[in-house]
Amino acid sequence: MGEAKKQLIGDDGKRLDGRKWDDLRPIGLQVGIMKNADGSAYIEWGKNKIMAAVYGPKEVHPKHQVLPDRALLRCRYHMAPFSVDERKNPAPSRREIEISKVIREALEPAVIVEDYPRTAIEVWVEVLQSDGGSRCAGITAASLALADAGINMRDMVVGCSCGLVEDTVVADLDDTEDKEGNGDMPVAIMPNLGQVTLLQVDGIYTREQFQKAFELAIEKGKQIYGMQRQALTNRFFGGEATSSHVEEGAE
Amino acid sequence: MSMKKNYVVETIRKAQMIQLLAKGKRIDGRALDQVRPLTIETGLIQKANGSARVTLGNTQVIAGVKIATGTPFPDTPDKGLLVVNAEILPMASPYAEAGPPSEEAIELARVVDRGVRESEMVDLTKLCLIPAKSVVTVFVDCNVMNVDGNLFDATSYAVVAALRTSKMKKYVVKDEKAEATEEWIPVPVERTPVSVTLARIGERMVVDPNTEEEASMDMRITITTDDEGHICASQKGEASTITPAQVLEAADMSIRLGKQLRDQITEATK
Amino acid sequence: MIERKQVIPGDVIARGNHRYGPYVEKRGDEYIALRVGLAEVGRDGVKLNPLTGPYIPRTEDDVIGKVVDINGFGWVVDINSCFDGFLPASFVFGREFSPSTHDLSSKFKVGDMIGARIESFERSRDPQLSIRGHGYGKIDSGEIIKISPTKVPRLIGRRGAMINLISEKTGCDVRVGQNGIVVVNGPPDGIVKTAIAVKMVEEEAHAADLMAKVDAYLGGSNGGGS
Repeated sequence: MGEAKKQLIGDDGKRLDGRKWDDLRPIGLQVGIMKNADGSAYIEWGKNKIMAAVYGPKEVHPKHQVLPDRALLRCRYHMAPFSVDERKNPAPSRREIEISKVIREALEPAVIVEDYPRTAIEVWVEVLQSDGGSRCAGITAASLALADAGINMRDMVVGCSCGLVEDTVVADLDDTEDKEGNGDMPVAIMPNLGQVTLLQVDGIYTREQFQKAFELAIEKGKQIYGMQRQALTNRFFGGEATSSHVEEGAE
Repeated sequence: MSMKKNYVVETIRKAQMIQLLAKGKRIDGRALDQVRPLTIETGLIQKANGSARVTLGNTQVIAGVKIATGTPFPDTPDKGLLVVNAEILPMASPYAEAGPPSEEAIELARVVDRGVRESEMVDLTKLCLIPAKSVVTVFVDCNVMNVDGNLFDATSYAVVAALRTSKMKKYVVKDEKAEATEEWIPVPVERTPVSVTLARIGERMVVDPNTEEEASMDMRITITTDDEGHICASQKGEASTITPAQVLEAADMSIRLGKQLRDQITEATK
Repeated sequence: MIERKQVIPGDVIARGNHRYGPYVEKRGDEYIALRVGLAEVGRDGVKLNPLTGPYIPRTEDDVIGKVVDINGFGWVVDINSCFDGFLPASFVFGREFSPSTHDLSSKFKVGDMIGARIESFERSRDPQLSIRGHGYGKIDSGEIIKISPTKVPRLIGRRGAMINLISEKTGCDVRVGQNGIVVVNGPPDGIVKTAIAVKMVEEEAHAADLMAKVDAYLGGSNGGGS
């Protein structure tokens, strides 16, 4: 059945949801909302709704997997059956297993695993509703959950996906743009260290488009890092970012 | 592995618990027949046909409904399908693990399913599109997000609230094929089953046990009632005995509390 | 004057040449925070007071734990850490101890709370506990409160100032483990007040005038500044 291909970018340069090429979707972050977990964070990014939680450091089970000089970092990215348009079987799919791995590899450079030998640190990312860019949103929330748990980290980790829609580089593709566009590039960075810890590319980019999308992802990542800071401030410093002076010798 | 076996209640706490129970009180200040604060939020997952988040004290469950079409079972060619699933997420408790559902999670899903199915909450005959060929399948998937006791009731309330607020596309049959129209109709919900769980600690029965109480209980019983106060499902848990008198005591409490809870659930899902 | 800065992991606390403490990493001439907390640069160098994080056992720490298992040679004790502590039966019954002659559960049962000291913590095995000395052993009664181990220094206060304030004003005996477990004994209304004061300290550990706030809650003037 022939269907006119949806115009993803209008003649006015606006995308289907009204955004400009470099606009992020609305993002909301909350830290420390799960009672049992050692650390947790909830993110709403566009229509994505994702909960990340951390347990650890804790004992390693099964015992034979224990590492003598560092923590074992475990990560599971899982999508709830009701999180997508067609109900998804709850058993982990190959896609979820791959994403679990890349998320772990994106977070691990930031976690000082050497400070916790013979332990496990478990990161659980549950996607309650998915709408494009969920792995970057998951990483952004997971990094907050790790900070909430008080695990020593060299830096925060923050992710953002950029890509190509009808030959235009755009920031933060939603589900429709990801499915019907020409390319998606999830990127995660450690903002202070200036290092990339996640990079995946699909699509066809010219050298210029590749650079533009890549640099845009990093720029947006730094913007979102500011939101991570605010979320941690809300949780730990009563919502006001300040510095105070105290008398030397006071408690 | 049973989660309860891993959580050890401090002997001091257990002693305080027993002392208070003898005076008709519980360790968190509740009366024996008092349910923790219950909150119900619906429509949080827009991509789902219906959804609900329930908190019962610190226990938190999210249920999501997804509608699909499928083939009916051969012995019920004119009935739609209802599938209830539950997962206790690894993030929900330090004692929960990733992997295929444990016997706890499976029992949870099946008991909740039984309460919904036996009460005929969803009229499955209204979900038949083409008898013996095509029916509507209603999936209800539950994620336990945080464990603090009484997963049975929290999950049941989430499933009921999600179903009561679920919408589906209206199907029409054209040329012997079922097609979805653009018209949205409510999922055919007829009644509201309410599950009430009691735990026995020492000599006393308490309603809606939290983690500490579950770790101290030696017997649990869940009873589900429908709008008429009829009992439509029940499950006794833990490797222990229960006297007939206690069973009837539980039934009476479930009918009484079921009424109050039903009012709260229907109010929250109007 | 010390400047106290709110930091998150990755933040630069200071530059230059300083001594520095735990939860801080030196990168070139920068001192980087590794945790969420309050950082300061003072006469002791660069310090970070974390506001969250696990309890990692340290030798000689006083801890409060819960017996969770008994095996042939001792008690396994949950000390609210990534590792369970182990109290060897020989430390309690003496060197003549033998599993066939001594019944471990006669001394401590599963579920019992005990006050103990971390005797040793080597990287290759679980921390060893000891109850030798005055005040250690089974804790028979009390209200149990759990706080973040990072808040324990605040709860105790400079030379015990905060914990003594709470104890005096509520008439309760408040026992604090370095591992974030607190046991309170005393009159029922005193226990309620203590629990609220403890939670106050935990939630507002970052506040500069915490002592005054707690004092005000407990309903009295404490004379002098905070």
